[in-house]
Amino acid sequence: MEPIIVVRELVNQFGAQRVHDGLSMDVERGEVLGIVGGSGTGKSVLLRSMLGLHKPTSGTITVLGLEIHYLQPGPEQSWGVLFQTGALLSALTVQENIELPIAIHSDMPADTRSELARLKIRMTGLPISAAAKYPAELSGGMIKRAALARALALEPKILFLDEPTAGLDPIAATEFDQLVTYLQSSLDLTIVMITHDVDTLFSICDRVAVLVDGKVVLGSAAEITQSDHPWIRRYFGDPRAQRARPAGDAIERPQ
Amino acid sequence: MGNAFLQSESDAGAMAISLKSEWVFGNVSALTRALDDIDPGDADRVTFQCGGLESIDIAGAWVLFRKSQDLQATGRNTDFKGFKAAHFKYLKNITGVSDTSGISDVTTGTPDANRSRRLLESVGQAAARGLEDVGHIAHSIFDGARKPSMLMLRETIRQIDQTGVKAMPIVFLISFLMGVVMAYQGALQLEKFGATIFVVDLVSISVLREMGVLLAAIMVAGRSGSAFAASLGVMNLNEEIDALRVMGLNPNQVLVLPRVLGLVVALPLLTVLADLAGLAGGMLLSTTVLDIGATQYIERVISGAELKTFMVGFSKAPVFALLIAGVATLRGMQVRSSAEQLGRMTTVAVVQSIFLVVLADGVFTMIFARYGI
Repeated sequence: MEPIIVVRELVNQFGAQRVHDGLSMDVERGEVLGIVGGSGTGKSVLLRSMLGLHKPTSGTITVLGLEIHYLQPGPEQSWGVLFQTGALLSALTVQENIELPIAIHSDMPADTRSELARLKIRMTGLPISAAAKYPAELSGGMIKRAALARALALEPKILFLDEPTAGLDPIAATEFDQLVTYLQSSLDLTIVMITHDVDTLFSICDRVAVLVDGKVVLGSAAEITQSDHPWIRRYFGDPRAQRARPAGDAIERPQ
Repeated sequence: MGNAFLQSESDAGAMAISLKSEWVFGNVSALTRALDDIDPGDADRVTFQCGGLESIDIAGAWVLFRKSQDLQATGRNTDFKGFKAAHFKYLKNITGVSDTSGISDVTTGTPDANRSRRLLESVGQAAARGLEDVGHIAHSIFDGARKPSMLMLRETIRQIDQTGVKAMPIVFLISFLMGVVMAYQGALQLEKFGATIFVVDLVSISVLREMGVLLAAIMVAGRSGSAFAASLGVMNLNEEIDALRVMGLNPNQVLVLPRVLGLVVALPLLTVLADLAGLAGGMLLSTTVLDIGATQYIERVISGAELKTFMVGFSKAPVFALLIAGVATLRGMQVRSSAEQLGRMTTVAVVQSIFLVVLADGVFTMIFARYGI
């Protein structure tokens, strides 16, 4: 089957610094792909390039068979994005935030629209009372869930997550991971996420893309840990990463 | 009866509805209508045959689930048959959550050139940036105006309220005071020549031609210019503008254009208010301090100032509005990285818009003088 996202020969240069140097990668349909890399290796730039929010120096990106151009209309109805800080519109309530994309892209009756929005709120595990609140009244974890509900509003095929568990306590982070796994399997989503959370990498990602030297090293978490690249060895050899690794080196996906 | 999405048959108190085609988000409107058209009549059992479905998602499953709930509420039995496993899980998802009401709560170093060369360079760069800015403003206004929508209209009206209606008290107050001050200063000088009555001409002509529109514009530049730059800047920092873009909304259309249009409507109206307030201020001083009666003052204003005098001032207002809104929204959209930059851009927005208003006023004066208006 055709990959859902195809990146070819991507180059991103800022001044003298070349962040991506002919980076090519595919994202397969239905997988959960985790993107990791040190600071300044261009994780966010890669994500923003895929979304048409950043103009690459050169290279092509195709999402769902559609070539992405900077600030041009793309497959807005087929992707959902969870920004790192949530990026809920602060002037609107949670409910209105979720209804907004639906209102733009569909002429469905207002009551169906508001029911669908509430359904999404409940699917992301928020209490229904959160619907009438403004983003400023929510906790960090709730903002992430509300933003996830908005990302899911248009029944997307691809979900982009930018550090979904950053800023969450370990319990909330684990719950969020479980939520993502649950949504991925029940909605047949393809998920691309930037994460620094090694727990997340081992527990929910099918494959891991490590950005090193302007290129990408792709493989399952187990394969990546066997890599002999110095940065990757250090990343996964770190005590924090060691703790997250399942015992006996067997990497299994939890149910 | 039937249509593109379903086919219903009634038979002895039982109704069978066969679903077909794609029950997905994009078709929700049509699906709702199709389901609304179903009249089960006296059937007390309704069976949904789901084998013919090509695809379904949460939105489609919800519409279906709600219909079955509605039917159950009227005392009928409902049943789903023939679901493919891949499709059934969507319905199961919904029944799951509708039971529980919530799970839990770069820059490269500049070459070291000599001083005069650097100075010339910076002048040239500033000029190039200025031209670029004009292009950006024009682009965002035309880009935003390509596809008018209701959303835009609502936001424009909100902006007229924010920048116009809410500014009325302060614009009235400063124009009124300025009218008083001008009349007093004028009277001090004109008294020496025994020409006190000309105070009225001084106040009316200067207020109508210049002071009214200028005071309103400067007040608006300070009030709304900073508000535009700051609110758009914060939206940029919070990635709200990126969020709009990935949802397929054009920020130029829903944010920039309504602000520009709103101000282009609001500022001329504020100018009329400022004119009236200035004249009223002049009248207050004339009647109380000078020996000019209210009737005499009004007659003198009418004979001294023509409609043309008012129009000279009034016609500048939309141009000033365009300058203020253009610069302020541009600076707001240029905020990229930090709260620090937000503060700087807000300052730049206010300073530049006031500067441009005064500059444009000078250009207007030259043009009007050239044509003897």
